Amino acid sequence: MTGGNTTDIEKLKEDLFSLMLDAEREGAVAMLLGFARGRGFQAAVNDLLEPVLQRVGEDWSRERISLAQGYVAGKIAEDVLLAAASSHGDLRLDVKGPVILGNVEDDYHSLGRKMVGVFLRAAGWKIVDLGNDVSPAAFVDAALEHGARVIGVSAMMLTTAENIRAVRAELDARGLSGRIRLAVGGAVFKLRPELVREVGGDGTAASAIQAPPLFDRLWTGEPEGEGA
Amino acid sequence: MTGLERVLCALGGEPTDRRAFTLTLSLYGARLTGCPVREYFTVPRRYLEGQREVVRLLDPDILFTPFVLPFEALAYGGEEVWLDRFAPNVRKPPFRDPDLAEPLGEGLLLDPGVGYLVEAARLLAGEFGADKPVCAVVTAPVDLPAMLLGIETWLEILLFDPERAAALMDLSEDHFLRLTAALFDAGATFVACPVMFANLRLVTPGLLEKSILPALARCFGLCRGPVVFHHGGNRIEDHLHHYAGLPNVPGFVMDPRDSLSRARGILGPGRLILGNLSGPALLRTAPEEARALSSEILAERAGDRAFILASGHADVPFDTNPDTLLAVRQAVLDAGAVS
Repeated sequence: MTGGNTTDIEKLKEDLFSLMLDAEREGAVAMLLGFARGRGFQAAVNDLLEPVLQRVGEDWSRERISLAQGYVAGKIAEDVLLAAASSHGDLRLDVKGPVILGNVEDDYHSLGRKMVGVFLRAAGWKIVDLGNDVSPAAFVDAALEHGARVIGVSAMMLTTAENIRAVRAELDARGLSGRIRLAVGGAVFKLRPELVREVGGDGTAASAIQAPPLFDRLWTGEPEGEGA
Repeated sequence: MTGLERVLCALGGEPTDRRAFTLTLSLYGARLTGCPVREYFTVPRRYLEGQREVVRLLDPDILFTPFVLPFEALAYGGEEVWLDRFAPNVRKPPFRDPDLAEPLGEGLLLDPGVGYLVEAARLLAGEFGADKPVCAVVTAPVDLPAMLLGIETWLEILLFDPERAAALMDLSEDHFLRLTAALFDAGATFVACPVMFANLRLVTPGLLEKSILPALARCFGLCRGPVVFHHGGNRIEDHLHHYAGLPNVPGFVMDPRDSLSRARGILGPGRLILGNLSGPALLRTAPEEARALSSEILAERAGDRAFILASGHADVPFDTNPDTLLAVRQAVLDAGAVS
């Protein structure tokens, strides 16, 4: 913790959590910016935003809250990060990574990828987002160009998730498997967890908010559990 | 008894010679006839031929019109994708800019894909409608904008732009009512509507109450025939009480993970419950497992006259073993009469 009375912080966290669940984006952002004005953006993120996002992520993975509420949480985080960047304040952005993100070839469902990007940025990761319909070669070329050790590939449906195999094959063909790790995600992996291994993924996360610890593990080369 | 009689008995809570059952075998007809998927899903007569083979193999009590919801979105533009053993899908949504999404009006029914859906329903009802209910599968009015714009854009609009959301709901309502009217005119007995954006795993309670449920109530209430509420790929047991009051909804297709007895407790004795085999999971289910699973469900619902054994989630996959499907039927026959 970077400062502040514990009781006050706990109350603020509770209020912020409620605002997120009620989709009160403006109110939540105003609260975080007010906090940042007094104590700095780093404290606003570390003491307030991150713990609440963690709670949202846990509830999301247990299906206690909705995709919309997770999405609003992402938008709030994005708004605060933009404000922090434009204020040239004390928040340290882009201190980890970079990592590559993109939707696999033929996939145009960008929601999950964008949410992962927001939560990774909030956790200090530098993101190179290649967008939708990214070819296997483009993923690997970008990872080499930027020195990324993790590629995050998103696919919503079974038909497009199958295309992730080609990304794994590209890594294998260039002798990069093990050096560059493959995070996979999207709705279909929640329905069929075994697909993570089948398509050549090194790991996945139960929700976008839980992407940062996954990328931490993959970046440092920690092994992932079966089906993780 | 015919399939139609069995389903009507289930609706009326009356006994039948055996439990009514169905599996969503829209795509599977292409496998049974060996028809290339693209031809099957563009030529209505090929679809009818496929469903004839479904009847020959399994004789289910309910038949389905083509389960190709993407055709509804593709009527507005966008890019389609065809794969050998799957129904076509939307590769790229029709609109990047929500302001460009305009109602098609009468033009909707002139679109070749939508025309195919309606004509296939007409052929199916003409040949089988006297004996078997023909169920037309249609996109939920609250989900159509997600197919037109992408999930993210629709979510963003629903959450933060109520005026634009209302305009898109109007478009969807017009689309839903025109399409369902055409399907009922063609002979469909009822429509099944997979609903995603009414699920509290996707939307907030506030959105559900203020925007989603009123839109569904309006559309379903104005629909020319009955609407079966399909779980849309998510569990709905926890949220069923929200949907129970929707007008013109005689039944619910439950998620395979839902508790049917709990659903019955929420809905009361009069509403039809369909479920809860997973269509896609049948691909990986051995015949003996399918029979055991079906028997288990049938035993659990033995005293429930308003229950129909059915598959949920998506269509049964192309490569599913026909013996697995026959094992489901055998379990129904084993279970005997509904007294």
